[in-house]
Amino acid sequence: MRILLSIAAALSLFLTSCGGDISAAMFAGGDGTYDFKNEWLDPQYHVDETKIHLMAFSSDSDTIYALYLGDISQIATDTIILYLHGNASSMDNFWETAGLFANLGGPHHFGFMMYDYRGFGWSTGRSTGAESMAADYDAVVAYLESQGLTSDRLVVVANSLGSLPAGPAAAGGSRIAINKLVMEVPQSTSNVIMQNATGLSLPSSMITSYKFDLGKNMADYTGELLWMHGTADDVAPFETAEAAMQQHNGSYYQEAIYPDMGHGLRWDIGDEEWAGTILDFIRR
Amino acid sequence: MVRITLSLVVIFLATSCAPTKIVKPLDEGQWQIGGTVGRPRINDGSLPILGAYAAKGVSADRTIYGGIQLSSALLGAAHIEGGQVQHWLPQNGLQPAISWSAGAQALMSTRDYAFRLYPETGINAYWHRGPHILNASANTWVDPTWFLTEYGRGQILAPSFSAGYRFRYRFIEAQVEYKILNPTREILVPQADVPNTFGLGAKGMYWGVALNF
Repeated sequence: MRILLSIAAALSLFLTSCGGDISAAMFAGGDGTYDFKNEWLDPQYHVDETKIHLMAFSSDSDTIYALYLGDISQIATDTIILYLHGNASSMDNFWETAGLFANLGGPHHFGFMMYDYRGFGWSTGRSTGAESMAADYDAVVAYLESQGLTSDRLVVVANSLGSLPAGPAAAGGSRIAINKLVMEVPQSTSNVIMQNATGLSLPSSMITSYKFDLGKNMADYTGELLWMHGTADDVAPFETAEAAMQQHNGSYYQEAIYPDMGHGLRWDIGDEEWAGTILDFIRR
Repeated sequence: MVRITLSLVVIFLATSCAPTKIVKPLDEGQWQIGGTVGRPRINDGSLPILGAYAAKGVSADRTIYGGIQLSSALLGAAHIEGGQVQHWLPQNGLQPAISWSAGAQALMSTRDYAFRLYPETGINAYWHRGPHILNASANTWVDPTWFLTEYGRGQILAPSFSAGYRFRYRFIEAQVEYKILNPTREILVPQADVPNTFGLGAKGMYWGVALNF
């Protein structure tokens, strides 16, 4: 028996030297067309097509593509919504969301920016974990800062996967301090994902170096938080997201909980409720 | 909006998808070396979970085994297992023979050296006629570190139930097994559908081939 186990252990340790990591595989990045036109939007969410700006920024050695809706010259004076999108192939999948934000509170009342993480859409490279996500976020925020955006006019809205870079940014990792944060259907911790998938007390370090803990991030975040979640979410389970978000100890905390609603929260609850809740939070 | 990343799911399920190695103890002095492929269901397909093992009949009634999970190892977790299968009751007509097993699964991350040890035990009912072995088995992993599960979602037991067929003839053994995994809790994999039983657990097919000598 000891010989068998010794051989198995040696072989297993040898194979671990291959250095595999599933972090890159967690990201569902893919192709994008960036065909941002009104013809793909409901009429109520049409935008002024002269205010559609596709941009590219350097992030480490990669190029990150971003979309800005609004007058660039007014970044220095407007409230700007920075949207960190979910785990879909590119910004194409969130064009409708962008149109909605561009009309939140009235046509182009707020400036709106979203971007593709590395490996999503036209953004080059591959997202691999906390470092790449933080660098991409910083590349975009650095641009906004250079255009005059200040902390009191920045609103970060994070959807699902977007909660992963938003958490560390809110906890002090953003060059423009975040004081208003919307977490829509966030995950909780990398360990929880592993444990929900295996039914065992396994830490995520068994399969990836990408470690995140939104509960800890929220405990370190001092600004205002709106958490939106459906109780029937089977992608980001409600109970663990609740436990993580309720770690928040900042200046203001608001929950918007929707019974029996799933991960596609905006589609489930409707644009009016979704947008109204966020608008009320921004304006409070 | 949602797209499944296959390799992610492979790994998440790999750690809990070890197939049954030995149902009927080997003859005394006999060795068996085999490879296994687990195919837990995910979305409309299934996933390959690779393993290898060796076993030896140390007496007419007792076989010891050791093995590794290759899929886990390739992603940075050394995962080995060991144990024994003990003959308990003989077959009597339609009444099946019974064996029981005891062992443990050990996993260690090579990133931060996190270590987990999961003792396991199981019972097998089997019918053996000529080269054919039919079995129904129940097994459970015991999680002594359930309290390390975040936000209080741990469980002490992680059971599985299976039914299979083995063809053991001279040097060759072929195995196929259908397994229901962890039916006491909901298995959640982000952006994936895990086929289950009454909303709980996971399930899949497992194959194995082995050499006897």
